[in-house]
Amino acid sequence: MNLLKSYFLPRLSQWLITILVGVTVTFILPRLLPTDPVERTLSTLSSLQTMDPRAVESLKEALEDLYGLGGSPFEQYINYWKRLIRGDLGPSMSAFPTPVIEIIGAGLPWTVGLLISTIFISWILGIILGTLAGYLPKNLWCQIMDKIFISIYPIPYYILALILVMSFCYHFQVFPLVGGASGKPEISWSYLSSILWHSFLPATSLIVGSTAFRFIMAKALTSTIIASDYVHYAETAGLSRWRIVLFYVIRNTLLPQATDLGLSIGAIFSGTVITEVVFSYPGIGYSLYMGLLQADFNLILGITVFSIVGIATAALLVDLSYPLLDPRVRYK
Amino acid sequence: MAIIAEAKHLKAYYITQSYGIERTVKAVDDISLEIKEKEILGIAGESGCGKSTLLKALLGTIDPPLKIVDGTMQYEFEESYNVLSMSKDEIKQIRWTKVSYIPQGSMHVLNPVRKIRDTFHDFIATHQNLNKSETTQLSQDYLQKLGLSGQVMNAYPHQLSGGMRQRATIALATILSPKLVFADEPTTALDVLVQRGVVQLLKEIQQREGSTLVLVSHDMGVHANLADRIAILYAGKLVEEADTRSIFKNPLHPYTQYLIESLPRLDDKTERSSIPGRPPALDNPPEGCRFHPRCPHAMDICTKEVPPLVDMGGGHKTACFLVSEEKT
Ligand SMILES: Nc1ncnc2c1ncn2[C@@H]1O[C@H](COP(=O)(O)OP(=O)(O)OP(=O)(O)O)[C@@H](O)[C@H]1O
Ligand code: SF4
Ligand SMILES: [Mg+2]
Repeated sequence: MNLLKSYFLPRLSQWLITILVGVTVTFILPRLLPTDPVERTLSTLSSLQTMDPRAVESLKEALEDLYGLGGSPFEQYINYWKRLIRGDLGPSMSAFPTPVIEIIGAGLPWTVGLLISTIFISWILGIILGTLAGYLPKNLWCQIMDKIFISIYPIPYYILALILVMSFCYHFQVFPLVGGASGKPEISWSYLSSILWHSFLPATSLIVGSTAFRFIMAKALTSTIIASDYVHYAETAGLSRWRIVLFYVIRNTLLPQATDLGLSIGAIFSGTVITEVVFSYPGIGYSLYMGLLQADFNLILGITVFSIVGIATAALLVDLSYPLLDPRVRYK
Repeated sequence: MAIIAEAKHLKAYYITQSYGIERTVKAVDDISLEIKEKEILGIAGESGCGKSTLLKALLGTIDPPLKIVDGTMQYEFEESYNVLSMSKDEIKQIRWTKVSYIPQGSMHVLNPVRKIRDTFHDFIATHQNLNKSETTQLSQDYLQKLGLSGQVMNAYPHQLSGGMRQRATIALATILSPKLVFADEPTTALDVLVQRGVVQLLKEIQQREGSTLVLVSHDMGVHANLADRIAILYAGKLVEEADTRSIFKNPLHPYTQYLIESLPRLDDKTERSSIPGRPPALDNPPEGCRFHPRCPHAMDICTKEVPPLVDMGGGHKTACFLVSEEKT
């Protein structure tokens, strides 16, 4: 109960405040623009396709309603929230009249699936390998691994992604270049394996870079932890290597590693936009890119709001995991 | 009494290199020591004189930059062990079941993210083929025997007081009934009342198990209460060794005399004199007798030659020309 009050509530309110501020910014920004968003949207739209004037008129109303330009600013603000909570983000301009929420709904599983799996794999892989390299600095394999990761780390992500695309999609044509899966969606081995197959390169490109970073961080953390009294003592008592690495070293690096993960989730999300563009992966990052190219204001706004909520929630989950990772956190 | 462990001419140096300059700290310099079965041997000396380093050599936990330059160290259990050249298997075989260790600064020796119960499991299961519930049962019973609450088992280290943590560490080190226990400053950093409890606990375990305890402490008061025999270290050298009574009643080495004199006494309220001067840096110790810059009796020979450790009779050994010259 105490833990709930002193730990969960402050973090929950922090989460709410983050979302409140973020969404408020998305409300204010378009209103600060010198152009009228409705007019601009309409002109964008009509430049993309020919529309009949009546449809334009009704769309104009819908847009005004959508941007909430009627009434006092406060009413507008309240209406804006109401719409968001209903999940009504208006129609997409570039794929008119498909609602934005549908586009996001279609892309979200791909992005979330790609993100969560790559974050987990690289987090675990980087921590295990980095800890081993830090614990056994004289081991030949660890030294080789160390050299490899240290040379990979400074390579800019898009270069890495392009190299992968060039070599395995064009040159060797091992992997498909476009899409998230092939065949029709169903729970079958062939469909699921096609998902894995399509996601292999984008996931690899993300995993390589972030594993390298995680590896370097884990190695640095390990070098301080193996100098600690409790590791020395466990070694003196003859505890086996795997027990020490697992329960004495890695276990003690999890808190800083989780903190870092929580802090970098936003950056990781931005990273997937590049991934999805380079690999033509059908997630919301790809949609965002298309939205930007075509000035699809609704879509951009919708994805922004979603990513604010998504990133804040992911950070909250990481934050809430601290007491599980370090018993001392409860009492601070 | 039989000898359970013996060090001969041990030299343990910290050899470090920075910016191409080699620095050698002679933390243990030619120390020979016999540890007798079932005794409590106290090792005393000022901070930095090499007590912990000596323990490392006696335990065989030598990691760079520490290096054994010379000497041997031997345990005599059913078979004898060459401590300084044991294989990994041998180390695992004798640690905790035969030789155990209570480290200095027990505050940080328990894994902060592991419950005491799990730490006990880790240490016991390393040496005995027991599962989790068996090790928990074993630890619980042992703690009870030592008069500690079983609740300690479910706590994390940070939830225990300093004294409690120290007791838990002592229990952890002695749970497999080792014959030989090394304890490094087990009472330092505890308040006086808790100190007394810890001393009591150590004595109790030693007596019940009939084990041998090597106790390092800079606190002569602790030695007075606990030790059968005391070895006095000064600047990496053994300067005096005798049974506790002789050390306190008839200290022969001028340094020991200072140590005894600086002890507070109940019947005397005057300020106790502390030892003049400072202990020497061990990377460049004084020639001859290392105590000579601080010694009120220093003679010519003291600055040139190293006084040998001489048995003055009844196992009372000292390394001082004042005494050995007199004798010859
Ligand atoms: N890792 C190290 N590298 C270099 N010198 C060291 C190292 N550890 C200890 N020393 C030096 O070796 C000498 C002996 O240290 P040691 O820890 O054995 O002393 P001690 O008697 O246990 O002191 P204390 O009472 O403070 O624990 C000291 O001068 C110390 O500075
Ligand atoms: S040998 Fe000399 S200097 Fe050293 S303690 Fe004895 S009298 Fe003092
Ligand atoms: Mg010490």
